[in-house]
Amino acid sequence: MKNDITRRRFLGTAATLGAGAVAAPAVASPRVHPPGWSGTARVDKIATTCEMCFWRCGVLASVEGGKVVRVEGNPDHPQNQGRLCARGNAGTGLLHDPDRLKTPLLRVGERGEGRFKPVSWDEALDFLAGRLVKLRDEHGPESVAFFPHGNGARFFATLMRAYGTPNSAEPSFAQCRGPREVGYSLTFGQGLGSPEPVDLEEARLVVLIGSHLGENVFTSQITAFATGLARGAKLIAVDPRFSLAASKADWWLPIRPGTDIALLLAWMNVLIAEDLCDKEYLKTYASGFDRLASHVREFTPEWAEAITEIPAAKIRETAQAMGKAKPAVAVHPGRHVTWYGDDTQRARAMAILTALLGSWGRKGGIFLPTPIPRGSFDLPDFPEPKRERADGAGKRFPLAIEELGVTNGLIDATLSGDPYPIKAWIVYGQNMLESIPQPARTVEAIGKLDLMVVVDVLPVEQIKYADLVLPEATYLERYDPPTIVESAKRPFIAVRSPACEPLYESKPGWWIAKELAKRLKLEAFFPWDTPEQHLEKILKPTGFGARELVSRGAVAFPGKPYLEDRAPVDRTFDTASGKIELYSEALAKIGADPLPRYTPPVEPPKGFLRLIYGRAPVHSFARSQNNEALDALMSENEVWLATSVARDWGVTEGQRIVLENVEGVKSSPVRVKVTEGIRSDCAYLVHGFGQQSRALRRAFGRGASDNSLMSRVSVDPLTGGTGMRVNFVRAARA
Amino acid sequence: MARYAMVTDLRKCVACQACTVACSAEWSVPAGHARTHVRTTPLAGTFPQLTSSPHVGQCNQCDHPPCVEPCPSGATYQDAGGIVRVDTDVCIGCGFCVDACPYEARFINPRTKKVDKCDFCRPRIERGEVPACVATCTAHAKYFGDLEDRNSEVSRLVFEGGARRMETRTVAVGPNVFYLGRPEHLDLVLSSYPPRPPRLLTAGAAWTRLLKPLVLAMVGMTFAGQAVAFFTQLHKGEGDFEE
Repeated sequence: MKNDITRRRFLGTAATLGAGAVAAPAVASPRVHPPGWSGTARVDKIATTCEMCFWRCGVLASVEGGKVVRVEGNPDHPQNQGRLCARGNAGTGLLHDPDRLKTPLLRVGERGEGRFKPVSWDEALDFLAGRLVKLRDEHGPESVAFFPHGNGARFFATLMRAYGTPNSAEPSFAQCRGPREVGYSLTFGQGLGSPEPVDLEEARLVVLIGSHLGENVFTSQITAFATGLARGAKLIAVDPRFSLAASKADWWLPIRPGTDIALLLAWMNVLIAEDLCDKEYLKTYASGFDRLASHVREFTPEWAEAITEIPAAKIRETAQAMGKAKPAVAVHPGRHVTWYGDDTQRARAMAILTALLGSWGRKGGIFLPTPIPRGSFDLPDFPEPKRERADGAGKRFPLAIEELGVTNGLIDATLSGDPYPIKAWIVYGQNMLESIPQPARTVEAIGKLDLMVVVDVLPVEQIKYADLVLPEATYLERYDPPTIVESAKRPFIAVRSPACEPLYESKPGWWIAKELAKRLKLEAFFPWDTPEQHLEKILKPTGFGARELVSRGAVAFPGKPYLEDRAPVDRTFDTASGKIELYSEALAKIGADPLPRYTPPVEPPKGFLRLIYGRAPVHSFARSQNNEALDALMSENEVWLATSVARDWGVTEGQRIVLENVEGVKSSPVRVKVTEGIRSDCAYLVHGFGQQSRALRRAFGRGASDNSLMSRVSVDPLTGGTGMRVNFVRAARA
Repeated sequence: MARYAMVTDLRKCVACQACTVACSAEWSVPAGHARTHVRTTPLAGTFPQLTSSPHVGQCNQCDHPPCVEPCPSGATYQDAGGIVRVDTDVCIGCGFCVDACPYEARFINPRTKKVDKCDFCRPRIERGEVPACVATCTAHAKYFGDLEDRNSEVSRLVFEGGARRMETRTVAVGPNVFYLGRPEHLDLVLSSYPPRPPRLLTAGAAWTRLLKPLVLAMVGMTFAGQAVAFFTQLHKGEGDFEE
């Protein structure tokens, strides 16, 4: 039934299969419209994987005469089950964005001028291969740094390893989830991954700390969240801002920014003092309880009230609610967690709270991943880099995860030449001037390079600093390596396969990597000729074939999400002790706090507000502001100011102001939103606006860029994560 | 006979606007317009005692649709399923129905120059599918079905689940879009976005009565003008005419 969603282009069975599908239309599947339904052309629906954000929902792309006319949720996909967010529904807007990069571009003017000439792929790849060979000969392969983002970059990552550089780092670690992964790993022996396995639909109590679900939209997470609330789950929203989630909450705790650890410690204090922990669970699975208990004894709700400005009674009441609902308490671990530089410790505190409630591996808490078998290729040995990583992962930042790397560590090394000069950057699928704080430093570092290469779909701001720009095909036009999601109740393998030919001269990432590999004589690392051969190999141990996966978009496997699904002998934790480590020997060993401790955040100077930031449901990072349908719904951001602040500043609703940080950096003009729904010590912006690329004709100059105001970071000494909520703004004088 | 209805659970809705974009993509609604729109009410209260609620608006497919009568061309009508529809072949794009709608659910589509609105995705219903907004709703907050079918989920939510119509004492036209929510949230939604008394509900009837004499008068005046021109020309003579 599902197989008649034909994949002609991809499987290369054009005539026969396609003709067959036309001859035996629609009746077999409700998802293929009958011929003539929408005018004259037949509509095919191609199952693939969305990339309007990085949650990897399953979509069906309707193709009419070779053109994708509509993208909607794939009802058979185990993750989103037919649902799809605003961005996903606007997918054709990216595909048909008239501002897309159309051909490879080679710089002709000075760096930063943004003057390019279009060149052929042969010319572009010959140029790049030539420069990479020269760099390897003269400076060693380690002098090339790679900044990937997204699935499409994975073949390129293989290429960079084969080339011989260890220097690869993605913003998803040091600007996003890194400290969380490390904090939870220290405690439970494993991180959370993506999607976060938070059992929101089964929870009896949901605890959000800064997470603004609803404004931050990942389809299946929203489904689970809303389902849980409808089933009667209570909700605690800790946020200095009255978020959408706060409007649904039973308790909104407008915390003083930067004091979350104090709140978490006080909650632990109450749970232990009032004997509300899951004692049986702790006895079976955890170590270090006594040390934790004596550590938190002094951190009473009254102590925390003075720090967090949340009344002690509320702290006590919410802790009691958790004790009552345990173990079905979903303490959401957050996603972007690089806030104050003590973020690994905050993640530890959240992990410990989860453990005290017995929620890890339990229904309504955090569920467990189920491994899926996968095949692999026998590749030649990757060359052993002669020099250590330049980003400090494993050394300067002892707990940074090397596979993900520390972007800011690579920028530091590029600026300082320490431990050795970095001569080239290859940036794949991200705009570093929006994804990494201190953009002025990033630009300065680019100035030190011999070569800057950008692979992207859109002409984002950083391309003006590039020597070579390569136009990547969008997710609707390309094959990507299969995505394997183990952190789901029903783990699954999904594939991204093309719904149409790449527009213009754009090319899929796999093709770019493979073509470059040929020129670098590294073809042996790509032992397949077509994407389907690659897919077939990866799928081999699963029992599914490439054709089946491509026709369905995803295949699911039975999961064992809860501890109770597993034999007692398998209920272990991958820590040194084999137990949940409430007290972390690993942290003690490197001289860090083995139990989380509150450290006061840097305070705003007089007259300034702390800049906080977040998401809007219709945009993804800084990637979607040029999309026609999404721009129509939200074309600029607003700066949220408390009513009292607006009065003090003499500004009114709707007025455009320029924000200025302590260092004197100014934003582009942004509209004021005057609201009771924010504390008076902070200002809030939705991230991703205020873009400075003129080539993005819709997004250019709309609203203010929070990232442009991040002149400071507070770096987490454990992971290298860049705490960003340490910047302060005021209205600039006109 | 069916009586189609929709229920939106505002306790679940997170105002993500997936419905808006899915609808616009499904029906090629030009950017800047929408058949279904999502709003969040202004905050009620003062920090930190605050309330607000999302709200999803669309055509309510009213039992007594105030948009039908003012339509001078007869393009707007109620179909057998109770769905208020627009025959775009007949619509002249005058916009009287836009003014008449208490729920601001109609607009003139700038591309077609005809009135545009939600019709519960009529063609999808006929294919056995649910409306695009229901299919995509990330929060599973929207329910669609037939109120005549007492076993349907919408019937259960409307007749037993306490789903409520957005009506006031002054504007009660039998909307078939219902809402679930905390009472204080539903009250806030209704006070923030009260249905507008249809501006042309009475004037519209007068307009249709006036229409015929007015058109006749205009036609008559055109004839009269032509006649005057003809006789003037006659009077001036043929020579002048040829110049």
